[in-house]
Amino acid sequence: MKEHYFSTFQLILMALFAALIVVAKIALKLPLQLPGHSGMFWMAILVVSSRVIPKPGAASIVGLTSGLLAAFLGVGDFGALDTVLSYTMAGIGTDVTVLFLGSPENLFVATLAGIFGNLSKFLVKWGIGLVSGAPLGFVALGLARSLISYIVFGALGGLLGGLTLIALRKAGFFTYLEEKR
Amino acid sequence: MKRGLRVILAVIILLALIGLVLGVDWIQRKDASRPVGTATSLPAGSIPIYRDGELVGGFSPTDLGKLEKVSFTDAAEGKLQDGWLLRDVLLLYLPAAQLQPNTPIIVSSSSRGKSTQLNWSEIQEQANMVMFDLSNRGTLKLVSLLPKLDMRDEWVQDVDRIEIGLP
Repeated sequence: MKEHYFSTFQLILMALFAALIVVAKIALKLPLQLPGHSGMFWMAILVVSSRVIPKPGAASIVGLTSGLLAAFLGVGDFGALDTVLSYTMAGIGTDVTVLFLGSPENLFVATLAGIFGNLSKFLVKWGIGLVSGAPLGFVALGLARSLISYIVFGALGGLLGGLTLIALRKAGFFTYLEEKR
Repeated sequence: MKRGLRVILAVIILLALIGLVLGVDWIQRKDASRPVGTATSLPAGSIPIYRDGELVGGFSPTDLGKLEKVSFTDAAEGKLQDGWLLRDVLLLYLPAAQLQPNTPIIVSSSSRGKSTQLNWSEIQEQANMVMFDLSNRGTLKLVSLLPKLDMRDEWVQDVDRIEIGLP
């Protein structure tokens, strides 16, 4: 029988992570009024997913799936295309960083993965703004602030994800996963 | 390649991306500050305000400091809308005497292809909360408690023009 790249168990886990991202986006709202602050939650989830499903592309698929779910639910203020692209790019950014730097159980790697993931989301929004000709207007006021905010919250999310992975290892979750395989 | 080297490379890529974004933004702002076919040039990042087709001013980020901040939580999404009243913005450039209760005011966004027309009496009434919220991307979004402007689809995001008509 042909062996698939992802097992059914891993696909289910990815779907759950994707749903968790959308739920986090909708339910966990911080009264911070700072751009990119939701990245603190979903970068944590993406970083955790990239280790729990230790195959290149897992975080990207989680990002794409959550983007499709979010688009259908009308999440995001720049339309469905922006939602799908930004969620997917956040996953790809996390994936590429983990692929390049190694396991996100290392807190520094997890932090960088969070930064690159959230920054990828920012770049999509900024790029769409450039292409669509959205006014420079008050972007001039907020761009540097937005960029810093995305980096800081991405870092915090990555760190949170890294700490979660360490806690999962201590709890024996990865041993359980090995047995499942 | 050793992990340490890869981390350094990743940090360099990160700094390059930050530099790219800020560099492009700087170039755009430089271009935008050039006068385009008119004797009057607006500061970069400002939103032109026209009265009967004539430019009367440009609402710029520096004007925000002169205005009082207001906020409300929209009923549709329970989101805090935090910003500046359109009434106060207009009164920075026009005396109140020039605005009649039925003076039409159109706020539009060329990138979104959206616009909304309100009259001065609606804008003047503070309880309507016709205001600009600063979006996450740093652009202005027109929101209100008025039924015609209280849902996401009705908001005017990325506002780049305000027109005041004749009553």
